[in-house]
Amino acid sequence: MTTSSDVKAEPQAGSRLGAFVRGQMRNIAPFVTLIVLLVFFGVASPSFATLDNAANILTQISVAGVIAVGLTFVILCAEIDLSVAAIANATGIVVAYFTLQESYVNIANVPLPAIAAIALAFVSCAFLGLVNAIGMTVIGIPSFIMTLAMMQIGAGICALLVRGQIAYAVPTFVATMGAGSIGGIPWIIIVLAVFLLVGHVVLTYTRFGRYVYMVGGNREAAEYSGVNVKLVLSAVMVISAVCSGVAGMLGVAHFGSAQQNEFDGYLLDAIAAVVVGGTSLFGGRGGIGNTIIGLLILGVLNNGLDHVEIDSFLKILIRGLILLGALIINVYVQAVREGERAG
Amino acid sequence: MQVESVAVPEDTSARLVMRGISKSFGGVAALRDVDFTLRQGEIHGLVGENGAGKSTLMKIIAGVHAQYQGRMAIDGREVHFRSARDALAAGVGMVHQELSIVPDLTVAENVYLGKQPTRGGVVDWRAMFAGAREHLASLGIDVDPRVRMGSLAIGLQQLIELARVLFSGARIVILDEPTSALSPPEVHRLFEVLRAVRANGRSIIFISHFLDDILVVSDTVTIFRNGRRIVTEAAAGIDKGWVIERMIGCGHEDLEESYTGTVALDSKPGAPVVLALRNLGVGRAFADVSFDVRAGEVLGVYGFMGCGQIELARTMFGKVRPTAGRLEMNGRALRLRNTADARRAGVAFVPESRRSMLFYREPVYKNMSISVLGRIARLWLRPAMEKVIARRHAASLSIRPSRVETMLQSLSGGNQQKVALAKWLTWPPKVLVLSEPTRGMDVGAKEDVVGIVRGLREQGLGIVVMSTEPETVLSLADRIVVMKKGRIVREFAGETVSKDRLLEAA
Repeated sequence: MTTSSDVKAEPQAGSRLGAFVRGQMRNIAPFVTLIVLLVFFGVASPSFATLDNAANILTQISVAGVIAVGLTFVILCAEIDLSVAAIANATGIVVAYFTLQESYVNIANVPLPAIAAIALAFVSCAFLGLVNAIGMTVIGIPSFIMTLAMMQIGAGICALLVRGQIAYAVPTFVATMGAGSIGGIPWIIIVLAVFLLVGHVVLTYTRFGRYVYMVGGNREAAEYSGVNVKLVLSAVMVISAVCSGVAGMLGVAHFGSAQQNEFDGYLLDAIAAVVVGGTSLFGGRGGIGNTIIGLLILGVLNNGLDHVEIDSFLKILIRGLILLGALIINVYVQAVREGERAG
Repeated sequence: MQVESVAVPEDTSARLVMRGISKSFGGVAALRDVDFTLRQGEIHGLVGENGAGKSTLMKIIAGVHAQYQGRMAIDGREVHFRSARDALAAGVGMVHQELSIVPDLTVAENVYLGKQPTRGGVVDWRAMFAGAREHLASLGIDVDPRVRMGSLAIGLQQLIELARVLFSGARIVILDEPTSALSPPEVHRLFEVLRAVRANGRSIIFISHFLDDILVVSDTVTIFRNGRRIVTEAAAGIDKGWVIERMIGCGHEDLEESYTGTVALDSKPGAPVVLALRNLGVGRAFADVSFDVRAGEVLGVYGFMGCGQIELARTMFGKVRPTAGRLEMNGRALRLRNTADARRAGVAFVPESRRSMLFYREPVYKNMSISVLGRIARLWLRPAMEKVIARRHAASLSIRPSRVETMLQSLSGGNQQKVALAKWLTWPPKVLVLSEPTRGMDVGAKEDVVGIVRGLREQGLGIVVMSTEPETVLSLADRIVVMKKGRIVREFAGETVSKDRLLEAA
């Protein structure tokens, strides 16, 4: 333990640059990855680097993106939410359940005015998030396990409501947000941009955002500073669930149907986007900026692999390897920092 | 030949011989030229204040510290342990204050941990239960080896850990503060077991702050002070006062010892009570604790490690919920559901470990503002104001470097401690609870903290200082309560008190 009252010696100029690079590795590595992917696909395929394709990429990442905004809050608190895709699916089905389904055969659905259907969908996802929060903070179930159970509960709600059928109708407002466009720009991209912006503002400029970073940085210290840690954790779980719910409604409209297991791939996509972007799995570091980069990496990768001649079965493996690489960097950067602190 | 140069010729029963042991940490000497001899079939009590060097010596014996000067021999063979595994292989076992049992396994599995008897590749449960029962019985421990470890009382768990250490072949067993969590009958039973172990010819080193326990069970007592072995004496001929005198020493060797004389307590019995504890208790940790915290007075709570003061401090700050009794603030019952409640009620707390108080990867100003953020900002943060406030604290507490954007991790320990205090000073709380406020600090930083606490007292805060170091309590407190095994055993108010009287009471 250092007991001298002096400051540690200033590092040399050369190592100061090195220290800066090491300190910013979390932000630099994803950015470099994105540039490399853009250059690679741009050179490899003439159809990749077009304005149309850019819009395609943004549209393709928008559902996962809205989920990832909420998940960023959770991961910044050093927790995890595995129920995001299930809650998205359930919310999408709830909004369809309360909309008249012409195509349904002999099972009840409950047609309500659009505003009521949307309101009930919001209530459902917020409630599921609240159950996650209560399980974690009141009962003390680790988030990993709690949200794993919620994943199954969400799937159960979906199964009960659609009973193996497919619902096609959603309220007009939802359909517009998910599938419509204004001035050539798809609404879904605008919604994503708004969510990213609001998420960023909340995390960076509000008291609650500061608490999220502090709880993630050192939960014990936050508690000993008189921060209501359980309240913060509860709030992030509800935020995550509501973001998932919005993504669910958008997705149902975007795909044009609501059915079971529709969102299964989005759990991995959303977690990958947050982590690949450089937000620390150990909490307290990262943010929406990182999530944007992560989303773009995923979007460019998924889209770009379609533009080059490649075994489509190999694509899955490549995605897995990229994710592994990002995880290695994520954990390695943390280890370097811990080492610096101990040293 | 080497063996002869180390062993002491006239003492053939020596099991462990250490000669000229010195060890320093970053230039600070922890042990200076220590000789130590442990005989076969002996219970050897080790006493000394925190930092006197007894733990360092034990860690050398147990192989935790591999770098040291001097020589060590066990049963006449010179040894130098590189790891705890080395020490274990040579027959040195240790029972720590924090037990390393597995609560979800059975007693037998704990005794046989890592070396279960097997038959054909599967665990031979029958042999394990029978063996464990026999081994425990040989030590006079009567417990069913099939019950779950976690269901047993602490005292029994400790005996079973001791049994495991012996079972793994230890001929030298080091017990670190074994009695701190035990009730008197449990202490009695432990001593019976230790005597049985001694009768087997094994040797025991017994480290404790509880001098009465040491004197009852030990054959020999060694006293450490400032990294030196002061004296080794047969326990039969000495008493507590004699030991305390030698533990404290009389010379004023450095500034730190200026608090070793008598201190006149400036208690303020007339001052208004801000926080009252009434028969407060938490499980096994402490019980029936009642005292008043008065405005403008520093109350010292002194006790040994494990006496319950750490839990008491957390209960006062809403981190731990009391299982009995209550808190009252200004005469009204105060129920704390969490630390945020405590903060709003005007209770502040600085824990003993800076690591659990500070955000190392955040700048100084964010560390300072976190506990008052609710009063600076409702919804939107106001970083400019946070920095203004932080700069004010940095200047008044002379925190270096004074730039509040500096990352906390690049500050020295003393400056970090000042930041931890500064968190609560923007809007002074009604009650400030400090746990070990000067631990591990150099003299200058200690003086700074003493000055800050005195300044806060003048502002009319009720301050509680909890410490296991008598100097800390004596240098700060206007009134002192002494805790022992979860209860308050003595209060010093409006009188003079000295270190030996505190130690005597605890």
